[in-house]
Amino acid sequence: MAKQYDVLFRLLLLGDSGVGKTCLLCRFTDNEFHPSHISTIGVDFKMKTLEIDGIKVRTQIWDTAGQERYQTITKQYYRRAQGIFLVYDITSERSFQHIMKWASDIDEYAPDRVQKVLVGNKSDEQEKRQVATEQGNKLAKAYGMDFFETSACTNHNITESFTRLAELVLQANKKDLEALRVSINDKLSLADLEEEERVCGSHDDVQKACWC
Amino acid sequence: CQCHRIININIFLTKYCKHAVQCLLLDNVMESRLLGLVEHIKEHALFLFTHRRMAITGNDVTLQEIIPISYDFSSFVCPCTILGADTRVRLTFFNEKMECKLPFGSQTRLFLSEVNRAWCGKKAPKFDWLTKYQKNSKGLGSVPPIATSVGKITKTGNGQGTVKGEGRNELVRSSRHTVSNKAQMLTMPQFGLRDNLIKCELLKNEEAYTYIQNFNFFLGTYNVNGQTPRESLRPWLSATPQPPDFYCVGFQELDLSKEAFFFNDTPKEQEWMKAVSEGLHPDAKYALVKLVRLVGIMLLFYVKKEHAKHISEVEAEAVGTGIMGRMGNKGAVAVRFQFHNSDLCVVNSHLAAHIEEYERRNQDYKDICSRMLFRQQDPTLPPLTILKHSIVLWLGDLNYRISELDVDYVKDLILKKDFETLHNYDQLKRQMDEETVFVGFMEGEIDFQPTYKYDTGSDYWDTSEKCRVPAWCDRILWRGKNIVQQYYQSHMTLRTSDHKPVSSLLEIGIKVVNEEAYKKTFEDIVRSLDKLENECIPSVSVSQSEFHFKDVKFMQHRSETLKLHNDGQVPCQFEFIQKLDEPAYCKPWLTANPAKGFLAQASIDIDLEVFVNRSTAPELNSGQQQLEDILVLHLERGKDYFISITGSYLPSCFGSSIHTLCQMREPIQEMPLEMIHRLVTSKRSQALDIPKEIWMMVDHLYRNASKQEDLFQQPGLRSEFEVIRDCLDTGTLDSLPGSNHSVAESLLLFLDALPDPVVPFSVYQECLDCSSNIGQCKKIISLLPQCHKNVFNYLTAFLRELLKNSAYNRLDVNILATIFSALLVRPSTKQDQMEKRKTREFFQHFLIQDSH
Ligand SMILES: Nc1nc2c(ncn2[C@@H]2O[C@H](COP(=O)(O)OP(=O)(O)OP(=O)(O)O)[C@@H](O)[C@H]2O)c(=O)[nH]1
Ligand SMILES: [Mg+2]
Repeated sequence: MAKQYDVLFRLLLLGDSGVGKTCLLCRFTDNEFHPSHISTIGVDFKMKTLEIDGIKVRTQIWDTAGQERYQTITKQYYRRAQGIFLVYDITSERSFQHIMKWASDIDEYAPDRVQKVLVGNKSDEQEKRQVATEQGNKLAKAYGMDFFETSACTNHNITESFTRLAELVLQANKKDLEALRVSINDKLSLADLEEEERVCGSHDDVQKACWC
Repeated sequence: CQCHRIININIFLTKYCKHAVQCLLLDNVMESRLLGLVEHIKEHALFLFTHRRMAITGNDVTLQEIIPISYDFSSFVCPCTILGADTRVRLTFFNEKMECKLPFGSQTRLFLSEVNRAWCGKKAPKFDWLTKYQKNSKGLGSVPPIATSVGKITKTGNGQGTVKGEGRNELVRSSRHTVSNKAQMLTMPQFGLRDNLIKCELLKNEEAYTYIQNFNFFLGTYNVNGQTPRESLRPWLSATPQPPDFYCVGFQELDLSKEAFFFNDTPKEQEWMKAVSEGLHPDAKYALVKLVRLVGIMLLFYVKKEHAKHISEVEAEAVGTGIMGRMGNKGAVAVRFQFHNSDLCVVNSHLAAHIEEYERRNQDYKDICSRMLFRQQDPTLPPLTILKHSIVLWLGDLNYRISELDVDYVKDLILKKDFETLHNYDQLKRQMDEETVFVGFMEGEIDFQPTYKYDTGSDYWDTSEKCRVPAWCDRILWRGKNIVQQYYQSHMTLRTSDHKPVSSLLEIGIKVVNEEAYKKTFEDIVRSLDKLENECIPSVSVSQSEFHFKDVKFMQHRSETLKLHNDGQVPCQFEFIQKLDEPAYCKPWLTANPAKGFLAQASIDIDLEVFVNRSTAPELNSGQQQLEDILVLHLERGKDYFISITGSYLPSCFGSSIHTLCQMREPIQEMPLEMIHRLVTSKRSQALDIPKEIWMMVDHLYRNASKQEDLFQQPGLRSEFEVIRDCLDTGTLDSLPGSNHSVAESLLLFLDALPDPVVPFSVYQECLDCSSNIGQCKKIISLLPQCHKNVFNYLTAFLRELLKNSAYNRLDVNILATIFSALLVRPSTKQDQMEKRKTREFFQHFLIQDSH
């Protein structure tokens, strides 16, 4: 039977605490939603296989702590990402304003080729809305990003936004993949390439991509 | 001479080769090798041979490499995850590395344990005996020159069959399997298991996404007795009104010449292929997918054009069972392929001749079954055997005869068309009934007269002297589900050979994929695997993610417990990891104990310890640093957890500078923190000549301990130090508590903790340079900042007082110079012995000046 055409991408969820990063991930991977907010204190991840253009793309999605005091530490995870979700909460003007800060951190710490998607979450909470869809659209345009309003609660636009980011990453790396495809001897993948530039020097075991 | 060597090797091998296994060398391409463990005078080496497809006798193997089992040798058996999988072994010798795959089973286990034993028993080996196998020994691992010469000899030696038939399958575009080839190149090795899991699951759920569709397979076998085609094969190949979907046409004794036997090259191949192509059913177009031939045994595999795109993974192989059990005059050729979702294998065999040799024929069958190995697309998978296929079609001159009956009786039965009675004496039927051969195979009812042996060109039974008993030599069998035989017949009109051709049409139910259902099944499997995988991500729960240490004091041990509980599905390894741009996983005043470890199923307690010492105190006192850190607890292949540590540090005179302390009339902890922080940088004139804390300690010692035996040499008590420290920092008591030794040690600790020593770092080098010059030394001191000079003079005066009581306190210049020079005159970095000597010399000047 068909064998998998395996490519591994790392996607990262960024945004203020409470915007719903963990909920987005949980909805996407497990199709579950928990209304309680248990703030993420650390960096968590989950795997999800997607099919894009007939290619099996395995995504490793990293969920980071949004709390301000951890930001110096979470920055060091940017480097390994090929795609980043910038998440704000449409019921929080503040979280929307902070997108600028998150974006400038990305410029500083993430790889140049990193793909970004702007996500305005909690679209189900229309009556509490503080950020108009148009504002989100405008900001996304200014940054040259795609934009989605999502709801982890109602499962609105979840698969769409994740698939879109994976697509963008796939496109951005297509050349490398083609190159890999022709060189039989180099059994490399993006993930392997990535593996060589590590976050923490001597601590080689940080976040292995290996899932055997 | 070369021949001689070959023989030598053979003798050598049979004599000394203890164990041998066949293995797959995992290089760029997978190649089969023989690996032999050779022992000679208690020394061992691995001999790696290339070998011909069907080789076992010495001539067919070529020595490729010798790997002595010495100290430079190591073998590593990769842990095998699936029971029943092949064993991967990595061999290293000097800089050479190779990886090979040994078949699963006891032979491999035995071989590896022998290799291991050989390695354990190695003792500074010389390996002299190997030199004759490796002439220009640039290193024992190099390819010996004889290898090539041996290779040459065997090449022209004897012409055992090699398989022909490459590049004939242009028409076969493997449907989705082309994707899989590319995938293979891209595959990350670590995903191999995942792929296998998906494959297994897909196979398990096959019924959910496939349905059965029938296809007609024409099977034909013809022993042509070395003849050239002289008549149309239509009567044999196109006897049905409807064109079949497939043709599997087998020949035997295609060419009986010596040339064919030795060089495996014959013009008959083309002639018969042409004859077949022309004889195929005229109402359909066919493509030749594969032609495979071993000497005189040839199999042609055609497919109706419209089915070609559903065929994939076509492989052809041959096995000789002839002379010496290996040659190609007898044996089998086979083609395996995948059609839609079914895997099929077609075998054409020519088994041993002669009426009495039925057991030999049984053996041939078994040899063919065990030795016919098809390489799999995924090189990590073991080769496929014939019987692994869900459908096997077996045709050929199986050579089983009619026994126990005499010729005339047989011919009589044939005349009467009593094939049923005759069949009871058929060796194949009997052997199959006894389950000694072709177990699980089916054969249709035989309703045609024996196909052997006729006078060539006629329908008359053999009239030669031998006058052979007629026999059903030529047969067609099958194995598998959903197969219905449409007909089974011989073709009397063909007279080219002493055999008559036989044909059968089988209607075979093939598993065809319903793309939509397949996609759904596949997605379900992937989803459940993702889920499984996510559940297997190592995970722990932490008892607390924030720790606060309140009122931490100088040199005070504080500790809190972080409980890790493994709440995941798998054991995990944890470690506190370094953060970007930081030298360690935590600040110097913090330690986690243990900082890494293994967490099986239970819990573990990690002590988080805070301890502020002389090197971390100054910056905490001055407010340049806070007790604040975030630990990153990393689980291998898992998540990270942040543990934040905060604390309040109570400033202390210990670790504060002389300059700062001289500005404080009040005890340090009586002052607001901001004020302390401001004092550190203020240039304000000093309120005190020397820090009151120094005065308190020195004065206490002067008054109470001048005659104290072993002063400064006996340690104090930690508990007393803590009270003294608190007393100095809070000013709660007028006189210091604790024993003389504890006060003395507190003084030493105080001096040691000064961020800039009494003789500041800036003049340290100068002190060394003029250590022998009293005048210069004094000059240096006289130029110190006022408060430092005061402290220095005050301390030396006190020490000189102590020396006056040396009869009681047993102190002398040497002892005091050694102790105090190390505290007062020290560098900011490490100090060597020579420097130590010089600082002592420097300091001594100030202890002895007045005693003269
Ligand atoms: N109504 C609504 N609530 C949501 C949605 N997504 C998340 N929430 C709620 O928002 C709160 C915070 O969600 P989390 O996913 O834990 O937030 P986070 O971004 O991971 O926060 P940190 O881990 O602290 O960075 C929770 O109470 C969720 O139930 C949504 O789409 N709609
Ligand atoms: Mg979260």
